[in-house]
Amino acid sequence: MLNTRKALLAFLPFLTAGLLGCAEVAPWERGNLAKPHMALEPYPMQSTLRAHNYSSREAAAGGNAAEGGGCGCY
Amino acid sequence: MQALTAAALTLPGLMLPPAQAADEEFGVQYGHYQEGERELFGVESKFRPIEVDSLQGSGNIKITDRVKFNFNYTQDTWSGATPVATAPLDMRGNRTVSPDVVTGATPIINGELFFDSQLNPLRTDGFGALVGGTDSQLVHTLSSASPETRKQGSFKLGYEWDEAAADVGGGISLEDDYESRFVNLGGRLDFNQKLTTLSGGLSYTSSDTKARMDHDILPYVDTGNYDSQIERTGEGGKIIHGDRKDWGAHLGFSQVLNKNALIETGIGYTYSHGYMENPYKVVEVAFIDPEQQFRAPVDGYFANVQALLEQRPNVRHQLNGNLGYKQYIEAFDAALHFNYRYYHDDWGINAHTFESDWAQPLGHGWSVTPRIRYYSQDAADFYIPYLVSQQAYDLGQFNRNRLPANFSSDHRLSGYGALSGGVTVSKQFAKGVNLDLGFEYYTHQGGLKLGGGGEGDYTDFDFWTVNGALKVNLEALVSSSDHSSHAHHQHQHGAMAPAGVMFDHMLSKDGFMVGYRYMYSSQGGDMLHGSNLVGDQTIVANGCGPNSCFVKPNSMAMHMHMLDIMYAPTDWLNLMVMPQFMDMSMTMRRLNGAPPDSEAPDDGVHIPHHVENGHETGGISDMGVYALFKVLDAGHHHLHMGLGLSIPFGDVDIELRRNHKAEGGLIHYGMQLGSGTLDFKPSVTYTGNYDSWSWGAQLNGTKRLEKSGETGYRLGDIFQTTAWGGYNLTHWLSANVRGVYTVQGAIDGQFNQYIDQLGPMDYPNNYGGRFWDVGFGLNATVPGGDLAGNTLGVEWLQPVGTDYNGYQLDRDGSLSATWHYAF
Repeated sequence: MLNTRKALLAFLPFLTAGLLGCAEVAPWERGNLAKPHMALEPYPMQSTLRAHNYSSREAAAGGNAAEGGGCGCY
Repeated sequence: MQALTAAALTLPGLMLPPAQAADEEFGVQYGHYQEGERELFGVESKFRPIEVDSLQGSGNIKITDRVKFNFNYTQDTWSGATPVATAPLDMRGNRTVSPDVVTGATPIINGELFFDSQLNPLRTDGFGALVGGTDSQLVHTLSSASPETRKQGSFKLGYEWDEAAADVGGGISLEDDYESRFVNLGGRLDFNQKLTTLSGGLSYTSSDTKARMDHDILPYVDTGNYDSQIERTGEGGKIIHGDRKDWGAHLGFSQVLNKNALIETGIGYTYSHGYMENPYKVVEVAFIDPEQQFRAPVDGYFANVQALLEQRPNVRHQLNGNLGYKQYIEAFDAALHFNYRYYHDDWGINAHTFESDWAQPLGHGWSVTPRIRYYSQDAADFYIPYLVSQQAYDLGQFNRNRLPANFSSDHRLSGYGALSGGVTVSKQFAKGVNLDLGFEYYTHQGGLKLGGGGEGDYTDFDFWTVNGALKVNLEALVSSSDHSSHAHHQHQHGAMAPAGVMFDHMLSKDGFMVGYRYMYSSQGGDMLHGSNLVGDQTIVANGCGPNSCFVKPNSMAMHMHMLDIMYAPTDWLNLMVMPQFMDMSMTMRRLNGAPPDSEAPDDGVHIPHHVENGHETGGISDMGVYALFKVLDAGHHHLHMGLGLSIPFGDVDIELRRNHKAEGGLIHYGMQLGSGTLDFKPSVTYTGNYDSWSWGAQLNGTKRLEKSGETGYRLGDIFQTTAWGGYNLTHWLSANVRGVYTVQGAIDGQFNQYIDQLGPMDYPNNYGGRFWDVGFGLNATVPGGDLAGNTLGVEWLQPVGTDYNGYQLDRDGSLSATWHYAF
């Protein structure tokens, strides 16, 4: 079983990292952020394929097993 | 803020892949995965490494301003060599044996080993005599697999508020030995003028394993631990049944830091329960029987090695957290992206993933994105290359309690690191039409594990992948094309030909069209000789030339996906490119009254595999390149001519797996993916329209330009003639009827490599014939709204007459469906 306290501690940084701080960015200042290559996932289809390759080859693919993906039994 | 919205929706590793792309976007992608040869330490593997061909299609449709629908379809076909076990090198699991004169590696998973007092394997001459010294080198024992196909469809329906979104989705993944069904729920909340986004989701997956054990190693595997889950088949096979459930939850957070940077973070948790084994992996157990130690060396041990199906825990808790950062670099107009992911589970695996990419626009619609990724994982607690047990193994009788509760030698559960790098090149052609090409190289090495201590180099392997994706954003296209040209296109499509007819129209100067064609055809039921039904006895006696037939095809299905890209440099000349992807499947049955299996080639060892497994192939097929020339364009009458080539990209050397020390040989002609030859494809098309009526006729042919392809044969030439009539039921919907006559010659020559001839489909004379079909179709043109100008067509071709060459399976019919958009 997972050690709940240890696990929570390990994942705390991921929970809090986003709260580090932010400046006011007015809508008209968001031009750069809106550029296609600033999208977190500019190539979603390619990313899906890469994720599928990794998940059939690596143990740590789980945790986001929301999408079938097949057995990968080879 | 489209990019921001998309960003919020796609927290990698946390968010269920949602309606990621822009609204009204359609995409299609082809990918190829190719593994390198495995190191077998002195044995050259005769197996081809694993390769996978995949095809993916996706679409986002805006049903209303606030309701979005997303669908995804993926299929992949894989084949090749895969490790079935791990053993000390002295087991000689991959030894080359040639009792059947055919040279090749056959997995040997039972045997003998000698150990010293510290249980280090001792080196022998291969015949039980020690030659001195220890040899601790391990090696994978490889087995091969015939091609297998997986298909997956999923959808997502979402609703968007001004500062929130929710979606519900589901899907199914189907393959011969594994089925999984999944549902998911997701949501998103925007705060702080959309500078902050919180997202979350829940998912549930239910999967069933139905794995047919490898015929080749079945007699040598101890399946005792799974007796209650094993079904025995009529052909003496074993099928392992298992089911598992996965529940997942995730929470994500993204924050704009300043006008050039944003951060994303999140955590995810998955609980899995049930059968999580890989049903095709065994673990070697060296049983040291006290009563056999008279064979042991001085101060050492003698062991009888048996193969047991691997055993994994039935419960798994998985946690992961990720942290991503994206920075816009003003000086280069580039974007730099970092992502770190930490993973922890109760199988003892901790993993770290670091990824980074640099997205660099280059101008004129080009951009290039190099990326690098490093992954490292610990071994699972129960990972072990092989086991040693101090007890006797007597025909499956032994004390299982003296083995660990769980054990696996699957290298995916070992400790290792993986380094990969690649590049994506993207080109925007028109506003809204993008082509992305990607390449990646990946190397898995025990020595790359973070902090050292990874598995030995015998597990090392590498692969490369390439992929190409075409994306069409209809919103962007519509906004960039003016209204008058739009109306023109609608007019052009008012007289669409039936969906199964290609080259039915031309574009005017500077026109561009993208389209997708799907064709499904099915055969089943009775066997015909010429036009006559024939029974099993006749097929046994006459269907296989001078030999007897042992099996017959029972059903055959073919699915073909074609991209249709057309450009008009002038009014009188149009150019077309049509890449194709196809997959096929077939089932067979034994023929009643066939001679005993022992009289078949290779003593009929492949027959059980044929009749129980069926066969699948899939991958890229031949690509067509065409030029259409306008001959006549007189009001209601149009005539044009097409000249084209079919380039033989499709494989014609797909093999069936080895079984029982006998080569599977090539799979028969009809299941290969291409023609193997360069083919000339001319056509002449006439179309006419008046008022609500349209009509047309076409002659087309396929002439093979080479004597034979790389595997020694040439498909028959084809000549086809067709005529149709259509009527506009409404301003957007038309119906059509057509007749088709096709004649195709038999195969010329035959395979120049081994083929295990068991049924009529394995003989070149049983191909081609004369065919009469009647088609019924509907065409629709979207009259208005964002999707205006899109055309859809569907047609069913019903066979009405068949006169086969030789003995072949009757035809059920074929379905064509098309989508086109011109701009």
